[in-house]
Parts: sequence; structure tokens; C-alpha cells
Amino acid sequence: MAYISAYQYYENGGAAPENANWGSYQYISLQDIVNNFLLMYDGNHSLVNNEERYKILFHAKRAVQELNYDAFKEIKILELDVCDSLRFVLPPDYVNWVRVSMYKDNLLMPLTENIQTNYSDAYLQDNNCRILFDQDGNVLKPEYSGLDIDRITSQQKSIYLNENNSLNGTEGWLWEGNWYFDYAIGARYGLNTETANINPTFKIDNKGGVINFSSGMAGELCILEYVSDGLYNGDDSQITVNKLFESYVYAYIKYEILTNKLGVQEYVVARAKKEKTALLRNAKIRISNIHPGRLLMNLRGQSKWIK
Amino acid sequence: MINSVRNTVLSILNKNNYGYISPSDFNLFAKQAQLDIFENYFFDYNYQINKENARQSGTGYADLKQNDEEVIDSFSVTSNLTVVAATNTFTLPSDWYLLNSIFYDAQATPAVPLRQMERVSQKKIRLLLNSNITSPNTLYPAYTMEANLLTAYPITINTQDDVVCQYIRYPKDPKWTYVDVPTATGEPLFDSTAADYQDFELPVSDEPTLVVRILEYAGLSIRESDVVQVASSMDNRETASEK
Repeated sequence: MAYISAYQYYENGGAAPENANWGSYQYISLQDIVNNFLLMYDGNHSLVNNEERYKILFHAKRAVQELNYDAFKEIKILELDVCDSLRFVLPPDYVNWVRVSMYKDNLLMPLTENIQTNYSDAYLQDNNCRILFDQDGNVLKPEYSGLDIDRITSQQKSIYLNENNSLNGTEGWLWEGNWYFDYAIGARYGLNTETANINPTFKIDNKGGVINFSSGMAGELCILEYVSDGLYNGDDSQITVNKLFESYVYAYIKYEILTNKLGVQEYVVARAKKEKTALLRNAKIRISNIHPGRLLMNLRGQSKWIK
Repeated sequence: MINSVRNTVLSILNKNNYGYISPSDFNLFAKQAQLDIFENYFFDYNYQINKENARQSGTGYADLKQNDEEVIDSFSVTSNLTVVAATNTFTLPSDWYLLNSIFYDAQATPAVPLRQMERVSQKKIRLLLNSNITSPNTLYPAYTMEANLLTAYPITINTQDDVVCQYIRYPKDPKWTYVDVPTATGEPLFDSTAADYQDFELPVSDEPTLVVRILEYAGLSIRESDVVQVASSMDNRETASEK
């Protein structure tokens, strides 16, 4: 892609949206990567020769996907209201979650993933517990399972120290004129720290494409931080790679082609693999932005007394 | 060059009164000889690349691959393909020998660069079309070939001038033209102004090879095994010296 003028960069040449090119210099497009690879790494005198472009495109996109899963550190964030159904439908480009938070009282509160399940499928059964089928032989299912109904109607008890805890509100003991009931206030020895959280919990139904929350999330604002695969729903013109990873992507494509090609000497494959691994390591170090200014900020706390 | 070649061929053939070939026979042999040599350029080009990869060739004047490239490029043509009635099928030119590059011209305003289309085999195209990641699109278009037709993908590539083709054409059939006027030797008189006159399209450096090849065909024609053998050995010697 051609370089753009400052006017194009700041104001998109007067077109909308104005911010289309902001920050674009950090990235190289997929088109450029495929083009450059074919120009520089493929040819009569190169290790890679007579390879179909679609193979190069495939490996380039696979590299982009892999980098988006962790190395890029490019987290997408989506805010949605959680209604009474206690569901948050996963975004269309969702691959994996990083953090789920509740935004309440102007505070971002990280939520805990429930270690138990909080949703279930169910089959309809008769009084003798025999499963019911329709005329085509398919199992009949209710809209919600009993577990789901209990969760949505706030009946489900929780092992977490929140308002749904099974011991919440039960009789406690009197101490200096006060009655203590709740686990939430921490008045109990042998605390299970894994479940010692007052916030609502969630469990992700990956196949169902939803996050199921405990009843405490009804009407609250949920902030989902997640990673995508960077393929922009098939729009190849949108796919970009941070320039710090450009060499790695070329090395990745080269390695994938050589390792799958018949008759390539093992030492050539090993060399390509070593190059790929080293470039990824370098790029990860670079993008982690370890520089003296940051280290200094951390080191300032080194002599602080911990009380 | 064609007259010079014909004169040389006739001169060799008439030695010892071996025989004579008519202008029409000469034109037929000339066409075959030119096609032979033309095709050899591609084999030789590949040979030179292999030599380069084996570090057995040089640069500058020793760069024989460049010479082959230049000759092949002299047959290069770029033209728009004709669409077949608003489908994604396009008719190929009648004189193509090798399709080197096919481009998709989006014909958009503002102009966008031509996108190179990739040749995909009939066996792979359906798999490719069903692939989420590599399905052809306007950024990475593809095509298949069937008979003299090219089918472009995605199917939105379906209007006239959407597809531009850069190809290597066959050399034009050489034709030694003449006027039939009485001369002292009884020979037809060469006429390079005739409308159907066509010289050889190969470089002058190929004249000796053309003469030898035509002699081989002529020797077969007049049943002179000596001519065939001599021409064949000359051809072999020339080929060996060029390696």
C-alpha cells in the first residue's frame, strides 16, 4: 500500500470516518505481506518456488490468527447490558475471553468464573422419567432446564460468598450485641478463598455462544474483554499485522511451506524453524515495551515497607 | 532475414545438385523450424535457471538467461479478454502459447491497482471456493481454464474488460513472398512488399539454426539422407556449444 499524506492520515482526506487512518502506520496489510512474500521469498532462486498463492495466503492468515490469540496483546472490549435472561451473547468475532467485569458504581469489578456449571440442557420426561420424543424421533426439550430457571429466577444457591450463598441469612451467633450470619463478612474460619467473592459469577457456554451469569448480574452493565482472530469476518482488506511481527510472518509462511514440502532437506526445515522461533521471541520482547522508564516506575517501590 | 535464410538453404541444397524446394515448401519448413526454435527457448530458459541455481553461470555478458528472457518477452502481448455474455467466463486469445499473468481490473474510480489472478486447477477450485480462509475474492481472484475459455472467481468478475491477460503468443507464420517474373535463372523474385509477407520473428542470431532446421526438413523432403545427417550433426554441435 502506498504511503499516505498527513491530511489523509489525520482527516482521511475529508472523507468519513475521519479516524480511518489513525495509527495505521503501526501496521502492514495482509495484501502487502502476501505481495512482499511472493516478491522476496518465492522464485526461481529461492527456497520457496512454484507455490500457489492461495497456500501463501492461507499460511499468512494462520499466522495472523495465531498472533492475535496472544502475542499481539490486542484485546477487544465490548460493553453490553445484561437483562433478566442473565445472558450475554458473545460478539461475532469472539474466540476467547480475557476478562469479564461488571461496571457498577463507577467501578470496574472483575468477575469470577464459576467453578461449577450454572446452565444445562434438559430433556422432557414423563412421570416415569421416560424421555419424550416427537413424531420424528427427536428428543423433546424445554426452553430452559430447571437449573437455568432457578438461576434466572434467583433461586439457585451459590457456593460463592454472595447473596445467593446457601448459608446467607441463616442464623449466626451473637457477639457483643451483634448477630453474625453471612459468610460475606468473612466471619468464618477455614475460608475457601477460591469462592470467596461477593460479585456475581459467570460461566461461558462456548457452543451456545453465550455467557451465563448468576442472578446478581440482572440489569447490570457487563464489560467483556476478549481476543479475536484478526480476520475481520473475511474482509481481507481489513487484515493487518503489527510491523514488529512482519519478519516473523514471512518466516512463519516460509517454514510452513518448507516443512510440508516433499524433498526439502531436514537442515533447511530446521533452519527455517529456528528463524521463525527467534523472530517471534524478538517481536514479543519488542511489543512488551520493556524500557527504562517503565522499569524505573516499578523500582521506585522497591524500598517501600510492607506493613 | 527470411530471404537470406532461403538463399542459404537453396545454396546448400543445390550443392552437388541435391535438389530444390519450392517457395510454398520453404514456407512450410520455415514455420516448423521457427516453432521448434521458439519452443526451445523455454526449455533453454529453464536449463539456464537450473545452471544458475547450481552456480554454474555468470552475470553480465555471461547471463544467458537474460538473453532467453528478452527473446521470449519479444512475443509478449497484453490484451483485455472478451467476456462471454455477462458470465464470469472469458474467451482467450487465439494465438496464446503461454498465459503468463492474468489480472483483474476492477475498473473502479478512483483507480485501484490491477490484481493478479491465480490459476487454480479444476480439481482444487471447488475446495478453494468452499474454504473460508482462502476463497477467491476481488483482492485475491482466481481462474480456471477449460478449452479456450477462462472462468474467473469470484463470479462478480463478469463484465467486459474485467480481465486483462499478459501472454506469450506463437510466432507468426513466416512467409517468403515473391513475384513471378521471368528471370535469367528462372527463380521467383523475392518481394518483401507483398501484403502477406512475414519475416521470421526470431533474432538474427538464430539464422544459422533456422537454416539447419529447414535443411533437415528439406533433406527429408527430397530424400537426401546426407543433407539430414549433416544438418542434424550441425544442430547437435550448435546446441552443445551453447550449453
